[in-house]
This record gives sequence, C-alpha cells and structure tokens, in this order.
Amino acid sequence: MKPVFEWVRVTRISSVAERTFVIAFKEPKSAAAPGPGQFCMISPYPGSSNVYLPRPFSYFRAPANDTIEILFRTFGRATRWMASLAPGDRIGVFGPLGNTFNRQPGAERAILAGGGIGIPPIVLLALSLSRLANPPQIDLIYGEAYGSRVVDLAKVVPARVRWHITTEDGKIGVKGLVTEELSRILDTCKTPPAVYTCGPRAMMAVVAGMLTPEKVALFETACEENMACGRGICQGCVIPVKGEEDATRYVCCCTEGPVFNGFEVKWD
Amino acid sequence: MNQTVRCMGLSFQNPVLVASGTFGYGDEYYDIMPFSSLGGLVTKTITAARREGNPPPRIVETDAGMLNSIGLANVGLECFLAEKLPWIAEHAGPARVIVNIAGFSVDEFVEVAAAVGSRPEVDALEINLGCPNVHAGYIHFGADRESVRRVISGVRKKVKLPVIAKLTPNVTDIASLAEVAIDAGADALSLINTLPGMKIDVAKQKPVLGMGFGGLSGPAIRPVGVACVYKVYQHMQRMSARVPIIGIGGISCGTDALEYILAGASLVQVGTASFVHPQAPGNVARQLAEYCETEGIASISDLVGLAQQR
Repeated sequence: MKPVFEWVRVTRISSVAERTFVIAFKEPKSAAAPGPGQFCMISPYPGSSNVYLPRPFSYFRAPANDTIEILFRTFGRATRWMASLAPGDRIGVFGPLGNTFNRQPGAERAILAGGGIGIPPIVLLALSLSRLANPPQIDLIYGEAYGSRVVDLAKVVPARVRWHITTEDGKIGVKGLVTEELSRILDTCKTPPAVYTCGPRAMMAVVAGMLTPEKVALFETACEENMACGRGICQGCVIPVKGEEDATRYVCCCTEGPVFNGFEVKWD
Repeated sequence: MNQTVRCMGLSFQNPVLVASGTFGYGDEYYDIMPFSSLGGLVTKTITAARREGNPPPRIVETDAGMLNSIGLANVGLECFLAEKLPWIAEHAGPARVIVNIAGFSVDEFVEVAAAVGSRPEVDALEINLGCPNVHAGYIHFGADRESVRRVISGVRKKVKLPVIAKLTPNVTDIASLAEVAIDAGADALSLINTLPGMKIDVAKQKPVLGMGFGGLSGPAIRPVGVACVYKVYQHMQRMSARVPIIGIGGISCGTDALEYILAGASLVQVGTASFVHPQAPGNVARQLAEYCETEGIASISDLVGLAQQR
C-alpha cells in the first residue's frame, strides 16, 4: 500500500506523563492501516513553526478506524512544537512508512521490551499479536528512567498481555533496567521465544549482547536515526549492519527498517 | 498554459527540475510526485564504483535548512545503467533526464561521463564539481580553476550531450570559475551546490554529524544562491560565450524560483524542499504558471535576468 501525504487536523492532544504526550489526528483518507513498527513523518503546516524538516514517529495506536495516535516526548524543537499544538491545528502526515515487526508462528512466547519513548511500536505490536487467532503468550516490559515518565498503559494493553514495569528510580514497578527484567523472563522460557525491542540504542545493544540465534526464535529491533525524507531518497538515516566478511554496510532505516533483525545490526 | 523553456538545445515542458540527491533515482517519490510532470529529473550523483557513504548521523536540521554528509552514497555506474536508468527513461514522459556524475579523479569523471553519455535515454549530464580530488590534496574540483578546466574539457571531448557544470559557492570568485567552465565547453551552469557547515551537540561536546562537516541546504542558503546566479549572469554579459544558468538553493515556492529567474536563471531545481513536502516541485511549477497567467507574461524566459541593475 502506498504511503500518503496529507494535511490533517489534530483532534486531541493530552499530556500523559512528564514531557510525554499523546496526539491524535484523523488518518489520511486513502492511507493503509499502519502495522506495528511502521512510522509516519509529521511536519508543520507552512509558516506555523520554525521546524523545517518533517520528523519520524512510530505509530502508537489506532483506537478507532479513522483515528491515529502518536505518543511522543519532548526533546528538541520539533517535539516542543508538537506539544504546543491544539485540536484543530493542521499538520502534515506522510505514511505509513517502513516495514513492520514480523510474527514468528512457531514461538510459544513473545517478549516485547520497550525502553523510554521506544514504547509506542511495542504497544502496537502487543495489540497486533494479541489479536491473532492463536496468539503467543505475550510479556511486555516497559522501562523508564523515572517513575514520573511512566505512561499508564493499563487501559491500552489487552488483559491477556503480562506486563512488567521497570524504573531506574524505583518509583513505579521494579527498580532496575528493562534488560534486567528481560533476563529474568528469558530464564523462564522453556522454548526459544520471539524477542522484540525498541528503545535507546545502548539498551538495544545490551539486549543484542544477551541473545544468540540459538536462544531465540526471532530477534527484531525497531531502530531510529535522523531522517529527512522517510522514503530512501536522502540516504540520511542509515544504520550500520553486518555485510559480507563482517564489512559494514549502511542501509536506510526508513526503507529497509525501521525493524531490523537484531543480530544483523552492528551495535558497537 | 505553455511553460516551455528552450535551454541547451533542449525543450523543457516547464522550468522546474528536481535537484540531484533530493529525488533519488526517480522511483521513490513517483507515486506522490511523478517527475514526468516536471521540466526534468536530475539523478543522484553517480560514481564509477558503488559507494556505501559516510557513517551516521548523516543529516541534521539547522535553522531554516539542514546539513548533510551522505558521502555520495550511490549504486555505482554499472547498476545505475542496468537497473535505474531504464526505469527512469520509461517513466520520464516529456521530462528531461539529466544524470549527475562525479569522480575522485579527472579520469573517473571522464569514464563515468563517457559511459552515461553514450546512453540514448540521457538528455544531459550535470557534473558535480563538489567532490574532493584525490590527486590534488583532496581539494574540491570546483574550488580550483585548473581542476574545473580539466574535468569539463575532458568530459566535453567524450560526450555529445549538453554538459552542465554544477559549481560550488565555496570559492573566492564564482564568476571566474564559471568563466573557466564555459571556456572548457560547459553548455550550462548549475548554481549552487551546498555550503559547508557544522552543528555541535553541546551536551556531547562534539559535532552532530558522523563526519563533522556537512553541506548546508534549504531556505537558509537561498540568498547565497541568488547572489551567485546574479553575479555569474552579470559577469557573462561581458563574455563572448554565454550559457544558461540553472538556479538551485532553497527554492520551495514559486516566489523563490522567481528570485532566481529574475537574477538570471533560465531553469531552477527544487531540492531539500522535496523532503519537507514531496509535491513541492509540482507546486513550484504550478505557482510559476499562475504568476505568468496573472501578470500576463507570455513566457517565463522573458523574466530571465530582469533584476540585473539596468
């Protein structure tokens, strides 16, 4: 399905945790329903902001057929601009772009690990997996540095998903890191699980270091890099992956990703 | 209305082209912005060998623009001719196909130009002189008169197609380099390539881009591009041989394009704006047509260079 560029109006924006917001808008009319891991490029309406380039955001939820939700956290001027939007404001949306997480039919368990603002595609994946006719047992680990930044996912994540929260300050959930919780859950797996992750690069590198192809049925990571076009044209968003004879190849995060086989990414 | 522009012996259905590196090989945006409705497509730079490009991060936004250090990542000459060019030709319709080429030595420029120039699908070559010369201390070809002369005359001897010299603004006197390129046989000049820039991540206390430096593009460089076009056009009035100028740099609407045309450009290229809005090139062409219609201008070519002080 082709991605669509359209100017849409913000229907709702709400603060859901410290520096963290959910923005909702009507899905472009002709766009396909986004899959877990896919993203859209969001840009300001001309003249409405000093933000120049569009920014990529993973889809968080599609709570109704024609509504899309994006979960974002303020870091720089683009996210601060987004946080300043109000219902009725126009934004450019170009999507859905990129590939999706894959299902591993043989795996009895799926472990999903989202760190910080890497959580949106992980939630969409949990929703997607739990809707399968024969879903795996799903464990979702959601880690934040601070309890104040934890987004309440209770109403979002289906009841069948077992979820685990870690915070580094210990204010909510288990005190510690996503990767420590992942390690504990991996120890309980009797058969190789499918492992999916999205979060800070350092976190995903640690996950990659914990796993081997023998231990898991599938290991997929959703990556992020600065992007301009979202369509493989600018070649700006490359991710280093293992090429032949361990040479580094650069592949576009936007078109060959953002979901990659975690064993193929060069994490160092 | 008729927007046709005659330039370099070619007919362009409108004066708006898409700039090298901002429209890939034409296929990526085709479903959203078919380049067949434009004056032409300028491909991503092609080098003899496939290039992986520079380590990330490769791009970052700046005020009113962006920095890039892609490192001329491209599929290489062989793959381009076998896989990309046939697709472009099949989908170009009336749009002109201009292939942008580069080399790291004069010989590489000539080799790539000869191979691309022998293909009937290609209407013109654009020579990217913003490339470091490995045989001359890695100074950009475009910054050195002798390198410009050798590359352009070398390519000129090998190809019959129109040759466009894409000049870098990072020189003391762009007009004198333009003159060298024209004397060496260039049929047109593309002005301008990106400007060198750097953004530093204050928290990490180091440059944001993997290579440190990048090329600045976007609205931030439009005044620089317009000034270069104006200066070169003015200089050419004193020369016996004059060639058309293609204006590039920060064009995202019809008014931006008009600035370049009034300064002396016969054609324009839309670049970074395509990243912001994939339909930007089409919008620029439409807005130029509307302007001519409203102002009662028979041909956009009548406006070329009108802003020169009279």
